[in-house]
Amino acid sequence: MSVHSALEELARYRARNKRASQEVFEKGTLILQKNGHKKMGDEVWDFLEQLALAAIDVGRLEVADRCLRQLSDKFPQSPRVNCLAGIRLEASEPPETALKYYSDLLEADPTNVAVWKRRISVLRRMGQMEEAISELSQYLDTFYTDIEGWLELADIYACCNQYDYSLQALSHTLLLAPQNPVYALQFAETAYTAGDLPLSLKMFLMVIDMTDGDETECLSESTPLGITVRAWYGVKLCTRRMSRDPQLVTTSASGTSPPRHAAILDELATERLRVAYSSAGKKGDIAQGRGIVFSWVASP
Amino acid sequence: MVSYALSHRAYVKIFLHAAKHPHRPVNGVLVGSASSSGVVDIQDVIPLLHHWTSLSPMMEIGLDLAKGHAECLGLSLVGYYQACERTDDAALAPVGERVAQQIQNQFNDAIAFVIDGDALGSGEAALIPYLPQPGADAAPWRPPSFDPPAFTPGSQVTLVNPASPSHAVALVRDNRLHDQFGDFDDHLEDVTIDWLSNKACIIPSV
Repeated sequence: MSVHSALEELARYRARNKRASQEVFEKGTLILQKNGHKKMGDEVWDFLEQLALAAIDVGRLEVADRCLRQLSDKFPQSPRVNCLAGIRLEASEPPETALKYYSDLLEADPTNVAVWKRRISVLRRMGQMEEAISELSQYLDTFYTDIEGWLELADIYACCNQYDYSLQALSHTLLLAPQNPVYALQFAETAYTAGDLPLSLKMFLMVIDMTDGDETECLSESTPLGITVRAWYGVKLCTRRMSRDPQLVTTSASGTSPPRHAAILDELATERLRVAYSSAGKKGDIAQGRGIVFSWVASP
Repeated sequence: MVSYALSHRAYVKIFLHAAKHPHRPVNGVLVGSASSSGVVDIQDVIPLLHHWTSLSPMMEIGLDLAKGHAECLGLSLVGYYQACERTDDAALAPVGERVAQQIQNQFNDAIAFVIDGDALGSGEAALIPYLPQPGADAAPWRPPSFDPPAFTPGSQVTLVNPASPSHAVALVRDNRLHDQFGDFDDHLEDVTIDWLSNKACIIPSV
């Protein structure tokens, strides 16, 4: 791989906030070896930060230290570099040390958002769930539009089996990003886990609405792909459980009204899944496990 | 007294699954059969999730499909495995225990394994067995104190091939085999991914 293509790839990863630490480390060290970083202009600082994070992830702390030294030489007392130094601390020191480091930084500068979030993730890592939740809730009171924060809160609640609170957190992500099908999907799956099947079904259908191709294409001619397949599986699971246990149809903690056409939705989901598994994939590959899926969708 | 034999293929696949998602929790089911001599042969694994592991719908569907596939091969779901997000965490509960219990309801001698994050790169068997406690149904699963300890000669839980751990490490480090491994979450994004057999990752024992 040439230095030029490695640089491009790393820039793409930065734009998409992709973690891929092993690859970043390999490409990043290649660039350093061939002095590619000297031709990067101002982007070199973003690159060093990215490489430092990847190096910490793969356990090559000496590389991370070199990047960090260059960054702190260039930007002394920078809040962003301080946060990176904290992450480096987390990798080799006990969590209490990192916690104290972050607390000291926050006392000096309470607006350092990145450090506040690191502090919350250290609390979570230490198993101090109540403190993590309390701090994160306080953080979100101040920085309401931080979707990553709401997703983290939802995840913490889900890991503690508190699915209703998780749903509440996710409802904020839906308000902040109403066109994002991934958040709607997470909401649907959380609602299912919380036992609210009518709400779950409604949200799975909303995901399909958001993602199923363009509207000029007739539904019966399109093949479900990617996230849409997952959502159709969700629809099928909901309609099947509701037909086996009618009580689930009317039990909805959110007060969602029962679906009027559950049987038709069940048939439609079955047909859509059969189509998804019958067509050749994007590269002409066949779907795997087709027989098993066909028997699954066919059973009552 | 039931004993458990973990095949080379099963160990390697668990390892590949964990290696592919180093900063996430992963889980899957164990597939095998009980022999007449009181040994549960864990022949293979079917990997399930690495994403939203606390949420149940795709876990339920994955379990159903895995069970269907196992039955086609004349086998059963005989257990569950998971890796926790953090290397210092080796707990099964709460999600893992629920799934393990579900499997145990259909296969009495089900066993669960939690990956030991600290031991993963070492070339030693990096799995901690969990079994249900006798007595009340709601009792938590615990790592039993085997004598000899698990994965040592003569123990109740053994590897069919003692070289599986070091072989698995080499497959990840030298062949990047984990890049070709796919679980149910991957399959849901692209149905051409072979999550049930992972044929590309079946390496014969050396």
